[in-house]
Amino acid sequence: MEFFGSLLEQLSTAYDLLAAGWGVQLLWGIGWTLAVTTVSMVIGAVLGSLVAAAKLSHRGGLRFLGESYTTVFRGEPELLVIYLFYYGGTQVLTGMARSAGSIGSTDILNMPSFLGGVLAVGIISGAYQAEVFRGSFLAIHRGELEAARAYGMSTFLRFRLVIMPQVLRLAVPGLGNVWQLTIKDSALISVTGVAELMLTANKAARSTHHSLLFYTVAGILYLVMTSVSTPIFDKAERYTSRSFTRPK
Amino acid sequence: MSASLATAANAKPSLDTTAAISVKDMRKCFGDHEVLKGISLEAHKGDVISILGSSGSGKSTLLRCINLLETPDSGEVRVDGELIRMKQSRDGHQTPADIHQVERIRADLAMVFQSFNLWSHMTVLENLVAAPVHVLKRPRAECLEQAEALLKRVGIWERRNYYPPHMSGGQQQRAAIARALAMNPKVMLFDEPTSALDPELVGEVLRVMRSLAEEGRTMLVVTHEMGFARDVSSKVMFLHKGEVDSLGEPKEMFARPPTQQFKQFITNFNK
Amino acid sequence: MDFDFYLSTMWSVLKALPLTLEIWFFGVAIGLVLATGLTWLRASGYKLGEYFTRAYVFVFRGSPLLVQLYLIYFGLSQFDFIRHSPILWPILRDPMYCTIVAMALNTAAYSSEIFRGSLRAVPVGQIEAAKAFGMPAFTRFRLVTLPIALRLALPAYSTEIILMTKATALASVVTIMEMMGTAQKIQHDTFRPIEVLTCAGVIYLLLNLSIARLFAWVEYLLSPHLRPAPGQSQQIKPVPEVL
Repeated sequence: MEFFGSLLEQLSTAYDLLAAGWGVQLLWGIGWTLAVTTVSMVIGAVLGSLVAAAKLSHRGGLRFLGESYTTVFRGEPELLVIYLFYYGGTQVLTGMARSAGSIGSTDILNMPSFLGGVLAVGIISGAYQAEVFRGSFLAIHRGELEAARAYGMSTFLRFRLVIMPQVLRLAVPGLGNVWQLTIKDSALISVTGVAELMLTANKAARSTHHSLLFYTVAGILYLVMTSVSTPIFDKAERYTSRSFTRPK
Repeated sequence: MSASLATAANAKPSLDTTAAISVKDMRKCFGDHEVLKGISLEAHKGDVISILGSSGSGKSTLLRCINLLETPDSGEVRVDGELIRMKQSRDGHQTPADIHQVERIRADLAMVFQSFNLWSHMTVLENLVAAPVHVLKRPRAECLEQAEALLKRVGIWERRNYYPPHMSGGQQQRAAIARALAMNPKVMLFDEPTSALDPELVGEVLRVMRSLAEEGRTMLVVTHEMGFARDVSSKVMFLHKGEVDSLGEPKEMFARPPTQQFKQFITNFNK
Repeated sequence: MDFDFYLSTMWSVLKALPLTLEIWFFGVAIGLVLATGLTWLRASGYKLGEYFTRAYVFVFRGSPLLVQLYLIYFGLSQFDFIRHSPILWPILRDPMYCTIVAMALNTAAYSSEIFRGSLRAVPVGQIEAAKAFGMPAFTRFRLVTLPIALRLALPAYSTEIILMTKATALASVVTIMEMMGTAQKIQHDTFRPIEVLTCAGVIYLLLNLSIARLFAWVEYLLSPHLRPAPGQSQQIKPVPEVL
């Protein structure tokens, strides 16, 4: 009985706290998390396709560069990469501004935290996306490429008509995984001060002393974000592979 | 038709209890599809029974029901007179009453599979030794000695330290036969042993099987090899749509097919 | 180039390597035990066990490790019974133990999925052959299913282990001075983040590359049957798995 009493009490405190403004803040946090994840995915897609192309290249030097990129950014702690871009960015910006004389010799020009975070998470995401694209390319039926060549298609035409659509189709499930990974990585950029979900939960926990409540809510919200994306990617997969399934 | 022939097979009632394998009225459904519609079969010591039938006739299922890789829905199996005890489970199907009894009997019924199923992470020699040591609890040294002798007999002793994926299909199947022999089984079950082989490798496996038949081993062979059925086996059983269509001496059966179905089956095959 | 600075930074960060390895080792080891339990629970056929493992995997794979760590370190101390427990409180008030607990719980979810997948990938024929030769269930598991499943699990599991090395860096956000925490401190003191983080990055990379090598070597040792046969030309290289 006492347990239920205290549970009710907890719930009403939770409601009060969320209604007192933290609820809205958390919603903004979700918005920022999704913004960080989306921008990072786009940066990652650009980098990832370039790196995948480098890894598949016939030139040894390019291949080495591509391999190094994926090895380094999949092998380093995410936190380190984020610090590198945020604090490192600040170091570079400050150095440039000081030597240009636009700030005083003891002033500091901070790296914009959103930019630093998004670059870091995007570059990590790119390493994983590169592996997805490379795997998808290798999974294309060799015969289809040969057929394209046999019909005299130019390299660009082959890429646009045969390679691109197939790589996209095969990459969708892998990209779904990277998307979830990137959502989770985005929580780490709270250390640089981007007001995404994790940092909002942190602030709420510190100022209200209800860390259990706010971290649980944050955990649930992350679960919702990662699980909502699963059916979306499933749908995308069905759409992109429509020529491979029997029409109903 | 099938019933009368099945009783014809049981024409030697005095030997009933000593039959190496006897199957009575075995039935098996997969979903709505009835694969075995009450099959009876008896194999005495030294019998080599070829089980023929087109695909889907239930011949592999019959074999797999005998050593309970599939659980028959009803019917009984006796090995050397010992009944495999079954019990009713809650959902109305029957299940083995005593799994230890099943395991003991399986060890007496060595099976050779269509796709060899040699354990890929063990060398050929380890494949031959694993079950005798761990199931029959025989001393390893003795098993190794026997295994080497068996490998010499099937002609792949040189490959004893190879892993299965490194050998040809014919060599793998001969190793699988040696693995079965290493159990000193009472009855050997062959489930389409040559169907997964390239045509040029079939001969080497059939030669080994023929020599086993000649030394008087009891064998149930599900096969598509008409030559083996006609020349080597002591009985031929033809299954059609889950029933025993005909059963008899091979020379007799092939010279004068007793049913229209069997006649059609062998004509199609000879085409 | 200031070699002295690089060398001294390298040395300071390296001095924290044992602590990083300690967190890593206990996280992975406890996680392995939990994962084995979860896999068994999932495979045991009890409906309740299946629901529990499904929910467990869903929760721990679907949310960031950082949230899990904060929940354990900051959140759980709100329960009175934990603060008054003579066993739980000494563990849960210590940031180092909390990191290990969070890592173990997290990796257990991923690893149990890897193990489940590799158990399911053992070819049915191999198990049937063991059945047909009269092997009892446990012998069958020990001689056939387990060795094959282990080899199948190894590549994905080594990836998971490397993810755990990276995860040890999170200990720094709960004030542990392992390699990342040490690097952070030096960086704050010197305001030379690029140099400091590069040093730490090199060490992390070398650590992960050696772990990857080690696993590749174990995999090689354990799979003589997948290597080309003596006297045969080499096999086609398989496409390395994505992610």
